[in-house]
Amino acid sequence: MIKVSGVTKKYPARLAVDNISFEVSRGEIVGFLGPNGAGKTTTMRMLTGYLPMNSGSIEVAGFDISKEPQEVRHRVGYLPESCPLYPEMRVDEYLKFRASLKGVKHSARRNKVNEVKELCGLTEVGKRIIGQLSKGYRQRVGLADSLVHDPDLLVLDEPTVGLDPFQIRQVRELITQLAERHTVLLSTHILQEVEAICERILIINEGKIVASDTEENLHRQLQACSIIEMEIMAKKETAMAKVSQMEGLDVRNATEQADGWLWLEIEADSPTMRVELYNLAVAEGWALRELSEQQHSLEETFVQITRKKEV
Amino acid sequence: MAVFISLIKKELRTCFYSPIAYVVMFFFWALTGGNFIWLLSQLAHGESLTIATQLMFSGPLLTFAIPVIVPLITMRLFAEERKLGTLEALLTTSVKVPELVLAKFIGAWIFYMVLWLPAIVYLFFQHRLAPAEVAGFPDGGAMLAGALGVMLVGALYVAIGLFMSTLTSNQIVAAISGFAILMGGLFVSMYMAYTAQSAGVRLIGQYYSSFAHMMDFARGVLDSRIVVMYITHAAWFLFAAIRVVESKRV
Repeated sequence: MIKVSGVTKKYPARLAVDNISFEVSRGEIVGFLGPNGAGKTTTMRMLTGYLPMNSGSIEVAGFDISKEPQEVRHRVGYLPESCPLYPEMRVDEYLKFRASLKGVKHSARRNKVNEVKELCGLTEVGKRIIGQLSKGYRQRVGLADSLVHDPDLLVLDEPTVGLDPFQIRQVRELITQLAERHTVLLSTHILQEVEAICERILIINEGKIVASDTEENLHRQLQACSIIEMEIMAKKETAMAKVSQMEGLDVRNATEQADGWLWLEIEADSPTMRVELYNLAVAEGWALRELSEQQHSLEETFVQITRKKEV
Repeated sequence: MAVFISLIKKELRTCFYSPIAYVVMFFFWALTGGNFIWLLSQLAHGESLTIATQLMFSGPLLTFAIPVIVPLITMRLFAEERKLGTLEALLTTSVKVPELVLAKFIGAWIFYMVLWLPAIVYLFFQHRLAPAEVAGFPDGGAMLAGALGVMLVGALYVAIGLFMSTLTSNQIVAAISGFAILMGGLFVSMYMAYTAQSAGVRLIGQYYSSFAHMMDFARGVLDSRIVVMYITHAAWFLFAAIRVVESKRV
């Protein structure tokens, strides 16, 4: 569906996107992740033909964006970052106007608009003025607009920014629903969002794609070393010394808790080394109440990847 | 074509949704009415009827109101789209930049002509109600030429205002810079055309002075050079606006 190869975009003062390449196949939901200013919006603007690139090529649905921009635009539904709308227009009026710009035939316009309104839960507010709608509704109007010409690909730039938790959940459900019929590329810096919706994650940092994989695989790649948590009843110094003496184990953190138990965070070469830790505890006669492998959260993975820059 | 018509409709709709349109109409129409009363009192004092069209088309309406009002109409055109981010939304549909610029121009130009409607209507009534001894005044040809002149001057002014609006995302900056160019241009060219010592400077002034042109149009004089000047200059500003919108995206 999307084929980006060797794309670079320079702004006068800086390099926004640096020779990136990736592909998205039909029917996928891909999360485009990165810290603020990493180049997400720039990439999406190039994908939708709003910004020209300095070098490289982008193909959407088999059409080259620099050669046949109109063909690409017909097939892409784009929700820009700030969800721009005309505040003085009514919802119906706006969606009809947008449908006409996107080449929806006059005879089909009313049906199409009603369809997307129903899909996005806007049926009740069709007559309301956009400027008087809540942020959540406005976001839905933006989504409805991006869908109105039935595009193959949806490009959504931070679709849930500025919404309250309830609205976020609604928009996410909507996107998941849309993914049944469309390919979705969604940018965000909210990690739970990606965990909740996306099948695959693209991480961009400082204009470069630093990772592209499923969430599980990204975790696995990072689990060359694993973290073991352990809670024992022992003296801090002796416990730290004993554990560190063992091969392949290293104490990262040790805290004496208020109830007298000692909490240890141990870096291990492999998660199976919990057995050795158990044996150690038995041999030393420490009472043991917890021994577990720490699960990497996506957040940690993200921080590690963007810090390491290369996986 | 369907897209183009949708864009023009949207422009007109937005124009008439905004309170600015009504404020502008209120003041311009009040001024037009005042101007007409003044014109009638001049005629009552024995002025020749031929001045009717001149007082209407090249009087204070043109010299004081239009250079202020046109930037107020045009400031919104692109500056607001930039501010709201809707320019991005527009240009990622199948809308092409020349189409968009032209649609916005036509929308604003239509509104400008709506402003002049009462002036034309007043003159028309005067024409119909003129007493028998001055039948046929004000002259129909002069009225037509005056209306054409108003349209041409408007085309150039709207094109300049639109161009200024493409340069910024701040409507006030667009309005003030448009106002400075229109008002400055009007007075400088008037000064050059009528008071400059050198014949060459006077010629340039005459070529650009909207005031002088409207005096001619309102007398029924149609000078093709002037018509060409307005059309080509308006086209140049629209072309420049297209280039700015195409290149200035972020």
